Amino acid sequence: MIELFRRDQNPWGQDILIGVSWDLMWMALVLAALFMVGHAIWFRSRAGAAHAAPAAVPPGTPERVVRHTLASRIFHWSMSAAMLALVITAFVPVMGLEIPAWVTIHWIAGVALIAAIIYHIIHAIGWQDFWSMMNFGPSFFRDLFAQTKHLMSASAPEPKGGKYPLDHRLYHHAVLVFSLAAVVTGVIMMMRIDTPFFAHNPYLLTDETTGVVFAIHGIAGVMFILLIASHIYFALRPDKRWLFWSMVRGWISRDVYAEHFDPTKWKATGDSSRPGTAATGALADASVSAPKEDA
Amino acid sequence: MANMKDMIPAFDLVQPTTVEDAVDLMKDAGDEGWVLAGGLDTFDWFKDRIKRPRVVIDIGGIEEMRGFRDEAGGIEIGAMTTLTEVANHARVRSEFGVLATAAEHVATPQIRNQGTLGGNITQDTRCWYYRSGWPCYRAGGNVCYASAPLAMNREHCILGRSRCVAVNPSDTAPALIALDAKMVVQSPRRRLYDAEDYFIGPSVDITRMTVLEPGDLLTQVFVPAFWANSNFYFEKVRDRGSWDFQLVSVAAAFRMSGSTIEDARIAVNGVAPYPVRLDAVERLVRGEAASESLQNAAGELAIQGTRALRHNDYKIVMMRNLVRRAVRSVAA
Amino acid sequence: MAEKLVGVNYAPPDLRAKITGRARYAEDFRAQGMVFMKLLLSPMPHCRVRGVDDSRARRVPGFIDIMRASEVNQPEGPTEAMLTDEPKYEGEPILAVAAESEEACAAAIEAIELDLEPLPFVLDPLQGLRPNGPNAYTEGNQFSGQDGWSTYKWTDADFAEVDAGRMPNPANPLVEWTKGDIEAGFAEATVIIEEAIVHQSVTHHPMEPRSTMAYWENGRLHAFVSTQSAQRTKMGMAGALEVDPEEITFVSEFTGGGFGSKIPGHTHMSLAPLMSRKIGRPVMHRVTRYEENYIGRARPGFQAWAKMGFRADGKCTAIDLMIVQDSGPYGAGDHNTASNIADITYTPGNMRYRGFPMYTNTPPKAAQRGPGGAQINGMLEPLIDQAARELNMDRLAIRILNAPTVEYGMGPRSQRMTSTRAKEALRLGAELFDYENKIQLSGQRNGSKVTGIGLGLSTYTAGSRGYDGLMVIRPDGKLYVYQGIGNLGTHSISDTARPAAELLGLNWDQVEIIWGDSSRGMPNSSVQAGSQTTHAHSRANYAAAQDALRKIRAIAARQLGGNANQYRVDNGRVLGPGGSMTFAQVAQRAIALGGEYDGHTLPGDLNAATVPAANMHVGTGLMGVARDNFGGEGGIYSWLAVFGLIELDVETGQFETKELVCATDVGTVVHPRSLGAQCYGGAIQGMGMAMSQRWVFDPQYGVPFANRLYTARPPSIMDAPRSMAWDAVGIPDPQTPTGAKGIGEPSVGAGSAVLTTAIADAMGGRCLCRTPLTPDLIVAELEGRPLPFGRLDQHVG
Repeated sequence: MIELFRRDQNPWGQDILIGVSWDLMWMALVLAALFMVGHAIWFRSRAGAAHAAPAAVPPGTPERVVRHTLASRIFHWSMSAAMLALVITAFVPVMGLEIPAWVTIHWIAGVALIAAIIYHIIHAIGWQDFWSMMNFGPSFFRDLFAQTKHLMSASAPEPKGGKYPLDHRLYHHAVLVFSLAAVVTGVIMMMRIDTPFFAHNPYLLTDETTGVVFAIHGIAGVMFILLIASHIYFALRPDKRWLFWSMVRGWISRDVYAEHFDPTKWKATGDSSRPGTAATGALADASVSAPKEDA
Repeated sequence: MANMKDMIPAFDLVQPTTVEDAVDLMKDAGDEGWVLAGGLDTFDWFKDRIKRPRVVIDIGGIEEMRGFRDEAGGIEIGAMTTLTEVANHARVRSEFGVLATAAEHVATPQIRNQGTLGGNITQDTRCWYYRSGWPCYRAGGNVCYASAPLAMNREHCILGRSRCVAVNPSDTAPALIALDAKMVVQSPRRRLYDAEDYFIGPSVDITRMTVLEPGDLLTQVFVPAFWANSNFYFEKVRDRGSWDFQLVSVAAAFRMSGSTIEDARIAVNGVAPYPVRLDAVERLVRGEAASESLQNAAGELAIQGTRALRHNDYKIVMMRNLVRRAVRSVAA
Repeated sequence: MAEKLVGVNYAPPDLRAKITGRARYAEDFRAQGMVFMKLLLSPMPHCRVRGVDDSRARRVPGFIDIMRASEVNQPEGPTEAMLTDEPKYEGEPILAVAAESEEACAAAIEAIELDLEPLPFVLDPLQGLRPNGPNAYTEGNQFSGQDGWSTYKWTDADFAEVDAGRMPNPANPLVEWTKGDIEAGFAEATVIIEEAIVHQSVTHHPMEPRSTMAYWENGRLHAFVSTQSAQRTKMGMAGALEVDPEEITFVSEFTGGGFGSKIPGHTHMSLAPLMSRKIGRPVMHRVTRYEENYIGRARPGFQAWAKMGFRADGKCTAIDLMIVQDSGPYGAGDHNTASNIADITYTPGNMRYRGFPMYTNTPPKAAQRGPGGAQINGMLEPLIDQAARELNMDRLAIRILNAPTVEYGMGPRSQRMTSTRAKEALRLGAELFDYENKIQLSGQRNGSKVTGIGLGLSTYTAGSRGYDGLMVIRPDGKLYVYQGIGNLGTHSISDTARPAAELLGLNWDQVEIIWGDSSRGMPNSSVQAGSQTTHAHSRANYAAAQDALRKIRAIAARQLGGNANQYRVDNGRVLGPGGSMTFAQVAQRAIALGGEYDGHTLPGDLNAATVPAANMHVGTGLMGVARDNFGGEGGIYSWLAVFGLIELDVETGQFETKELVCATDVGTVVHPRSLGAQCYGGAIQGMGMAMSQRWVFDPQYGVPFANRLYTARPPSIMDAPRSMAWDAVGIPDPQTPTGAKGIGEPSVGAGSAVLTTAIADAMGGRCLCRTPLTPDLIVAELEGRPLPFGRLDQHVG
């Protein structure tokens, strides 16, 4: 019988929530494994499925289409590092493997994550097309319908999207929700341990509210097992590896662009300072304009 | 569920006579098993109905875990040897006096007659929040009650805190560290740990005080001859003359060459969730004469990095003074 | 010639059973069909029981029944009930469960789901006095029978004084008395000492928890109880159960201590009889150490301010004393006694006392060995030394100067004493201790160790009057002394018979003591408390012996001829001009004569409770039965002076008590070894109180931690001084025929004082002014580090 939550008695004998059950961690790992295997099988079964023809790229499309500026990549990789450290220090000790000072690593990684998120929010609002990512208008549902159709039917080709296809956006939003949940609850939890930021006080919240905070943090953590596992899985899949490289190098080739994107939805740009090449440096990144760097 | 204390819940009692059987039984019992040595830590837990094992493995009948065996390189002491036996053993007294003295300082004569060396080393912390069955970190919960702003933490740690601020209560542990003893653990694989590595802090695993995991059994303690007949020092500060755990204790072994400290091993307890070996102090005193300035420097060095909770600042000076006194004990 | 009994050591009659393990305590009794009972204790310091779901408990195999608060008497106001639906402290019993075994009781209690509404609680009485501080009761924090509940608080200005370390001056003190002219007293003073002082609450923790076994048979209750008193406890139980005392067979032969917590029994002793009546089975209620911590009572803690003025010659001229008392949820009177004892010990002539007894949500308080006195002596004695230091005066001399004589009246009503030999006790102790030489060692440093000399003087009640003695000389020639007092190991069951036996010219082997079983007759007796019994019952038994002697002589004269007054008794015979008779013959003759001789006719002035006891023995021999009509005026108080030498290690804060000397004024010494044991035992208990004993609460949840013997830290034998000696002044109290006064109580305060003064002495006169004086506190003070606790913190450690 899988337990969802851990409960205990507070010093007054009242039944209180302590956090999520660690059964959920194992369940998440199993689900992640099942998903990867399931997806691999499904993908193989769709080997002969319909593919949309490569789009006709507009003239002037650079050979290297900028997909992720350096600023974005720095955020992505620093967030990834923080997230991995958080998940590993959270769950590996539960599995019985000792990580000395895991709490310290965990909260420092948490602080790093918060810094990365703040950076990302400012960057996204100021320099990226924040609203297109957050667009939940008719086009979102059209994309959703097309994507569902593709999943259900081998004859329906995968719809081509803008710079951020629907699945990426959904993933982003899931990460957003669970990151914020983990961050907010994590900050509250930091008040219960020794950090330079807060005077330690475990009694700021009631026992029950504390339990809810721990449970939310735990649920977010467990969700990250699923999210990170699936993310890494796709990043490593041969058919999606271009995505991985785009996050490493910052650009995709014109062919990949044509194959996977709808130029009407995402107008490709190159490095304005070096036509035909991708931006590779911070200065270059800063110089990208037109009109929003990721538009 | 209403509160009930002082009534031991029923359990299955098994009484193996060999280490092999004990380890098998422990493996069978898994998380539901509990190893019973002298019972002095155990029965408190049981009476309070906080620990409720299904199976209790009483290792009191394992002869091979009792008594002393002289070996070429030292002396092997069975983990089930009583503290009285350790305190009275002729060779321990003459060659490894710090251990005999430490054993003599445990609790009361009655408790020493019943309590074992292995139990004294391996016992759980006495943090009263934890021992009251409160759902603290160490008990698998999500809070340290003892470090709360108004908490009663006079007896808690000044070093090594990591969410948990409990201290190790053992009297013999620092003495064994000073003697560079080795802990023999069977599970069924036989492993050997240096005494100071046998104890773990909450940053490693907040629910355990030692390396022992379910299925592990401390069978013997081996005390190497290297530190035999050294100059030893043991002192324990406590609130009353018996039946009390230490506020701070110190155990030290010095190998002297004339008035110069050739080598030293010094450990303190009651200051951290684990007995603390003072490597830096050892390095400081090596090759030096135990002058007053060295005593003072050793004391000051010992307390570097200490941090008091609300009620235990005194431990910092107490620790400093005990380390000073340990070094002073070999002053010319 | 019969042996001399008074002032001679002997083996008390309960000794053999105790050392062979044959002694039966309450929990050793069994009855056919006996079941067990356990209590469900409140997990919160103050709450309301909104609901109890016992459905799962009722399904536990072996479960029999539950008793709820609604089934027991619920007194009005701040008075303890056996069970309650509004617990006022963590650990207060909410309900009781009976089951076939204790395991089943425990399992059933664990299966009960409680719905509790947490209520505000107060642990530290000073917090309760703060303007917006919590109250122990939802209705308020003060109660009077006339006006009901009200709330009493100090002002912010008062607390500004407190926080500044000064004695506040709150309006309308709850208790106030004055004597003399305090202003004039301070005006006369050359030196004024003022300190804030804390004495922690400490639990009683007697060795035997308060267990009870009870059953009913044909409407008669058989109760086996752990209690200090016997006959008086039986009366208390009869009152609580509303039954005729003569319908109770009450058994309490041995009790493993009480220290004041089981004086007339205790509230919860009536639960087993009630449960037994409810379920129709014998019920054993075995109280555990953990439960004992809660329902077993505690000494009230004090947070006090004392201001004492001294003339240039050392005479104390004024005391201004103010005590905030932790009264627990049900009150305590210690602070009043403390104020009186401060007055009588230091004889200022001018004194003001202001008392603030505050209800708290901590386990109930009750008298503990020297209640009030034990606290205040330990608290004030270091101030006497401070005065001596400032006046450059000898510490013994200042005490002798201020110690009372019989002329000094105690407290606001200037109550006089029957005898007061405090000065003599101090002088005797000084001689025994070799004070003149030892005081030279004060402050001497050897390595890290500094010698401290401690002096303590204390007093406490030591007697009462008007009880009855009952004894019978049977045809076997032996004297049977029937005792209604309890036996908690103080030897008074037999000590109090010794002067009577001596009066009757008996050897000790001709005397049988009958105690601890009401079916064998318990005359009206004092409670076994307040150090009363040695005084009260040596008198009562002496009165009965006089009655017996009169009857013996009358029978002899009748039988042998001559005048009754010419007959004397010796060695179990009555001898006179007409020859002699054995007591066996006298007893037979008494039975034959009947009337007053064998108890068919009883004295008309006996206390009512003695009559049924005497009636049990009518016709069994020559009965000596009488009320103590010796009379007397004034309070009966004993004195104890204690001297001690400690070595304080200034690097660790630990100390060792090397020597302890007790000198006491108890009037005539009845049983030297027992007296010595009381002096040492009480002094060591007091030393423990000063040194290590504590009661610690978590402020957040309001629950105590020092609830075991090892965490509460009463002193162990390893804390006892290496060398101990005692002596007694030995001047009989003039108002009692036996000359003897009690001793149990005053030794505690002196023991505490000897350490509080010795530690201050070793610290160069610095008074930490709080107990317990644990190494942390001492080393922090000596090293100039932050003290572990605030000056007025209570319930910490």
